[in-house]
Amino acid sequence: MSGNLARKDRTRAALLLAPAYLWLTLAVFLPLSAMAFFSFLSDVPFGDRDWHVTLDNYRAVFESGTYATLLWKSLKLGMTVTALSVLIGFPCAFVLAKVIRGRAREAMFLLVILPFWSNSLVRIFSWAIVLRGNGVLSGLIDAILPWDVRINLMFSPTAIVIGLVHSYLPYVILTSYLALQAIDDSLIEAARSLGARRRTILLRLILPLAAPGIIAGAVLIFVPVVGSFMEPRLLGGRLGTYYGTVIEDQFVAVFNWPLGAALSFVLLAVILTILALASPALRRSQR
Amino acid sequence: MTNRTLALLGRGYLGLILFFLYAPILVMAAMSFNASAFYQLPFSFSTEWYAKLWSNREILSAAGRSVWIACVVTVLATAAGTAASIALFRYDVPGKRVLQVLLFPPIAIPWLITGTAMLIFFFGIGIGRGTPAVIIGHVALALPYVIVVVTARLATFDATLEEAARSLGAGAWTVTMRVTVPWILPGIVAGGLFAFAVSFDQFVVSYFLSEPGDTTLPVLIYTSIRKGFTPEINAISTIIIAVSMGIMVLAARYSNFGGER
Amino acid sequence: MKRLLLTSALAMIAQGASADEIRVLNWQGYGTDLDWAVAAFAEKTGNTVVHEYFTSEQEMLTKLRTNPGAYDVVLINSAYTAQAQAEGLIDPIDTAKITHFADLDPGLTGNEDLNPAGALHGVPWTWGLTSIAVNTGDFAELPTSLSVLWDPALKGRVSIRDDGLEAVQFAAMATGQNINAITDMEAVKAKLTELMPQITTFWSSENDWNQFMSAGDFAVATYWSGSAARSQAAGLPVAFVVPDEGAIGWLDGLSIPASSTHKDAAHAFIDWMVDPEFYVKWEPDGAPATSNTKAAAALPETSFNRAVLGDPAVVAKVQFMKPVSDADREAYLKLWQDLKAAQ
Repeated sequence: MSGNLARKDRTRAALLLAPAYLWLTLAVFLPLSAMAFFSFLSDVPFGDRDWHVTLDNYRAVFESGTYATLLWKSLKLGMTVTALSVLIGFPCAFVLAKVIRGRAREAMFLLVILPFWSNSLVRIFSWAIVLRGNGVLSGLIDAILPWDVRINLMFSPTAIVIGLVHSYLPYVILTSYLALQAIDDSLIEAARSLGARRRTILLRLILPLAAPGIIAGAVLIFVPVVGSFMEPRLLGGRLGTYYGTVIEDQFVAVFNWPLGAALSFVLLAVILTILALASPALRRSQR
Repeated sequence: MTNRTLALLGRGYLGLILFFLYAPILVMAAMSFNASAFYQLPFSFSTEWYAKLWSNREILSAAGRSVWIACVVTVLATAAGTAASIALFRYDVPGKRVLQVLLFPPIAIPWLITGTAMLIFFFGIGIGRGTPAVIIGHVALALPYVIVVVTARLATFDATLEEAARSLGAGAWTVTMRVTVPWILPGIVAGGLFAFAVSFDQFVVSYFLSEPGDTTLPVLIYTSIRKGFTPEINAISTIIIAVSMGIMVLAARYSNFGGER
Repeated sequence: MKRLLLTSALAMIAQGASADEIRVLNWQGYGTDLDWAVAAFAEKTGNTVVHEYFTSEQEMLTKLRTNPGAYDVVLINSAYTAQAQAEGLIDPIDTAKITHFADLDPGLTGNEDLNPAGALHGVPWTWGLTSIAVNTGDFAELPTSLSVLWDPALKGRVSIRDDGLEAVQFAAMATGQNINAITDMEAVKAKLTELMPQITTFWSSENDWNQFMSAGDFAVATYWSGSAARSQAAGLPVAFVVPDEGAIGWLDGLSIPASSTHKDAAHAFIDWMVDPEFYVKWEPDGAPATSNTKAAAALPETSFNRAVLGDPAVVAKVQFMKPVSDADREAYLKLWQDLKAAQ
């Protein structure tokens, strides 16, 4: 079945592929094009509103320092959460892949991945309960320490970071685990028998081989975190204004869809740039 | 340090991670059994919030709608996704690489952008907000997952089996339904469960597309949290977590997800 | 037998025709969603009521714009009625269908803000004040000045609503300006910049406010007069304060979206909302002042509304909010967004 596809087969392939790809066109690609169009309008083209094509939205995004500040703030949040998740998650994946064996490993792996499939909103909500001023964490620390403490982490950047790391940690564990599993144990044995130290094995052998997995996990975390709005809103209080919450506001509160579309496209451009930079590593991880 | 102490340390570390992952969920679940409406301690056991939940029409109808939407999405996404996977596997489709790359946008672009883009487009063409819009959006998000999972299963399928069936005179439809589909059934089931989970847990896209009075459960929870929450929200959240995790344990059993059997 | 079937079938059809489900868009916990009131309305008319909530007027308007047909009754602050009318979001009220209309205060039904384009677009429902409320546990003596919001000793225990217009108005009062004719925006900006570090979080609904107050997170926060009465009734240690600088007065009307498909039921619901029977039962739990003169007269002397809103010294300090021009509103929202972004 090489190269030349019989006409009959061609029809069959098209019929089988059509539902999925037509659907993606209708629900993803056309909407993104519509959004691109909207980002150049002066007002939403509904009803009898006046609108014309303009660059004002992009001008507003680039000229006002506010959006740049917020974008930088969101990018910093993305980097912090990604870095913490990798630092915490990689050792965890290593223990899973190289220390624990047999059925216990399967069970542990499932346990680690499971929360990732539960509702992210509910998990953020659970942190709101834990972190509140009169919440469980405060009560627990108060009970342990002899002096009176009142810890209120709620409504702080720390709360946002904790909630996001909790949400996205399983990604990096999953990708690092898959990469680590692919490293042949006999390779490590060989290195050891040649007298390599643990540190050397880790830095010269394991980390380079697992790097594609780590980078894949990092990208999978970084992208959604930069666009997050629900987590800062619920955990950030007065400090919870980020690039994502401003986009949400344009659509839900102030009805400035064209500006929201322009803000979204700037974010998309930044994210695509980052994906492009990471793509060599991503491609390697697929192999 | 000996290897033994290292292994012990590793296990301890894993325990800490599990604690971090599960503690807030357990606290939230525990609070759904606490009598105080303001989450005050000391804890006093009560099933009051679950009883209240049963009489809360709004939460129950949102929960029902979420399940119903997830079922419709599962059927549509699994059917379309499986068909596409088989086509990509069986035929040397021109532009295969491009078609595979096109699966990434729904996963790789932040949902905030996809969701608002869908809102703009559906509004423009007259679908507007509401359950149909939500279903269209969810299917698009679930499709890539189904295709990835089913394709992974297809990779273990011996294409000569199809050849053999065909040489015995079976038509294309019979070959697909009698030979291919039964073999990849575990993959299809796992893909379907993924689709269900994607839809049932989806918040961002639903948030922009659902219509007032016709919201899904996650959207209702978000608005409730922003407008002052009650332990009833904990009760329904606890139920959701239990259901989602149950589904994923099933999916894992079907797909060998992460195992190395 | 045949006849019995026929009549019951007819009865069912008739019921199906009259029993509507109406959707009301309002702030959470603000009168229309009281369980007993909704139940009484269902009993009277057979119509059921479903609620949807907003957390700011901006959000309310956008909900109306993007969900045509979804709502039948909407609460609109009179300062926004003209904007909603101009965008074609709401219809004029058919006053003949409001049986209690004759009892409503003519000063309110004739209010120019509720009568854009010369027709009544919102039935005046309640009016009240936005001012500050304090946790009485934190104050031996009640504060008399808005400057309490800026008190360094209360840093991290202050809250306001996440609403640019309202934030600007409070800062205007604190800088001695008229909220409807703000001239010195620089002073407002400086004042709000100082306020931001004081704030722990923004509150978005009454329920939210009560939870923070009961947790001790708030010492002083902006609040609504009716809600303060309700929090007191719920046993929270709260006192409503009208400071020397003044308070924001508002008038809320009930309007019917142009896209509503249950306009008769919507009129019936509004009629029930201005019924003295409803108001007199609502007031002890905490309600703003009514527009219905008969309902106001039926209140006991000791009621919160008579005590606070009936006090001429208080009324003299109130600045009633007027519609804001598009340009001003955009400037206020931009200022507020920039301030939040700078945090």
